[in-house]
Parts: sequence; structure tokens; C-alpha cells
Amino acid sequence: MSSRRSQMRQAGVSRITEDQIVDLVSKLQQLIPEIRNRRSDKVSASKVLQETCNYIKNLHREVDDLSDRLSQLLESIDSDSAQAAIVRSLLM
Amino acid sequence: MKARTGYSTSLKQEFLKKWIKGIRIYSNFKKDMNILERKKAIKLSADLAIASTRNASTRWSRTLTANISKNETNKIFVEQIFSDSEVIKKEAPSRLMARSNRIASKKIWRRSHITQIKARKMGPYAVKARSIAKKLVKNRTKVLKSLVPGGENMDGISLIKETLDYIVSLRVQVDVMRRLASAAENSTRLGLSSKCSVHWLQGIFTVLDHWCAMVH
Repeated sequence: MSSRRSQMRQAGVSRITEDQIVDLVSKLQQLIPEIRNRRSDKVSASKVLQETCNYIKNLHREVDDLSDRLSQLLESIDSDSAQAAIVRSLLM
Repeated sequence: MKARTGYSTSLKQEFLKKWIKGIRIYSNFKKDMNILERKKAIKLSADLAIASTRNASTRWSRTLTANISKNETNKIFVEQIFSDSEVIKKEAPSRLMARSNRIASKKIWRRSHITQIKARKMGPYAVKARSIAKKLVKNRTKVLKSLVPGGENMDGISLIKETLDYIVSLRVQVDVMRRLASAAENSTRLGLSSKCSVHWLQGIFTVLDHWCAMVH
């Protein structure tokens, strides 16, 4: 850690304390359902990062799946012209 | 960047309003869309909407918007959505890349030098274990950077801060989209007659309209 601090000083950046990093990592841990309930000193940084990545990938996939579902729902409505006209008027 | 907690209703309403607005504008652009175009309209509008809830105050939201606007066909659509509100700020990635590469190479030199000093102090096994752990963190950080829009150029602290905000926003996006999808699907699954299911959907969209109007 001291090596990083001296690097930071060299680059002219203000000191980033280890507490700050620990604080942010624990906030991240709170957000992720997989590791939310475990004690922060029992979860390693690499585990937090791994679960964060998995979580974001899952969220991306969900958005994609939901977009699929919604586009199909509109399609089934569009098959009938009367319904299609109503839905289109609501969307436009 | 202001920190946000998860589930404020106003955030969901803001997202919903912007999302519906985006779908409307897209529909005006392209009449008679096929299912793939519809999906694109829904997804694109959702991404733009959630990014715009940050009002360009986070790197991920600016990058996301900029990436969508890079596509020529999307550009006109994006400009229409933002015409009455915030400006699309352009990120300047190349300059940042060069600078961070220079800093990175300095760090690599220092790190290799410091590792040699530590090996003399700690003994080779402890150094090896620690370097494996560091490698693991480094690799996973790399993956995270690829997942968060604009992450490649961020330093460690910014990356974590942006990730926190990005996750909160993604959850809002998923939550609202999920509710709309399941409400619409429930009406179909209950096997209501075609007239009734349109009525349900009409109800949903009317509620959404009123909701949007109230928030405005």
C-alpha cells in the first residue's frame, strides 16, 4: 500500500486512504445480493469484484430478455388491426 | 457525482417517463417495425432513458449516451429525445488513454522494482501468494472495466464509485421493465378475450400516461 501512496504523490494526486477504498468496497458488497449478508472482513476484494461482474452481467441479460418479451407482447397485439390501432395510438 | 440509494420512486418515474417518450419518438420515426426493430426501439430507449436520469453527471451515463449516438441511424433519434433537455457531452477517449498508458507503464516499472525489494524482506513464498492475489484482483478489475461504460479509462476509486451508481441505475431499469412486462403478460396468460386484453393493456398505458403527466 505504501508503494501506491508514493506513486500517488509522484503523480500529484491527493492521497487516497485505504479507509476510502475499504468503505467503497463494503458499499459494493451491500449492493450485491450474493454476498450482502456475509461479514465484510470475510469477503476478499477479488470475491467482491467477481460477484460484482457476475451481477452486472446478469442485469444486462435481464434487460435484454425483458426487451425481447416486451417486443413480443406488442407483436401479439399487432396481429389484429383494431388492437394494433389502439396500441399504436397509445404509443404515439 | 451524488451518491444514491436504491429505490426512490421518483427515479423510477423519471426513467419510465423518458423511456416511454423514447419509444414514442422511435415509433414516429419508423412506422411498421418488425419484431427485431421493436426490440431495438425498446432497449435503446431504455438505455438512453436510464443514462439521462444522471444528467451527464457520471462517466458511465455520458459514455453510454455517446456510444449510442455514434451510430448514424441512432444519432437523429437521440437528438430528438434530447432536443428539449440536456446536451449530449462528447467524451474524449484518446487523450485519456495516452495519459493513463503513460502512468501505467511507470507503475509497472516501480512495481517490479518494489517486488524485488520485498522478496528480500518477506521471503519468496509470501511474495508469490501476494502476487497471485494481486493478479486475481487485477484480472477481475479488468473485467469490471469492460462491463461499466467508459470503465477502461477510470482509476480504481472512480471505477468503484461509477460501478455503485451504475448498478443502482441498472436495478431501476430492470425493475420498471419487469413490472411492465409481467403486467402485460398476466393479462394475456389469464386467457382474457382479445377485447379484454387490449383493455388491460390500454389500462396499463393509460396509467403510465397519467403517471408520466403527474411527474412532469
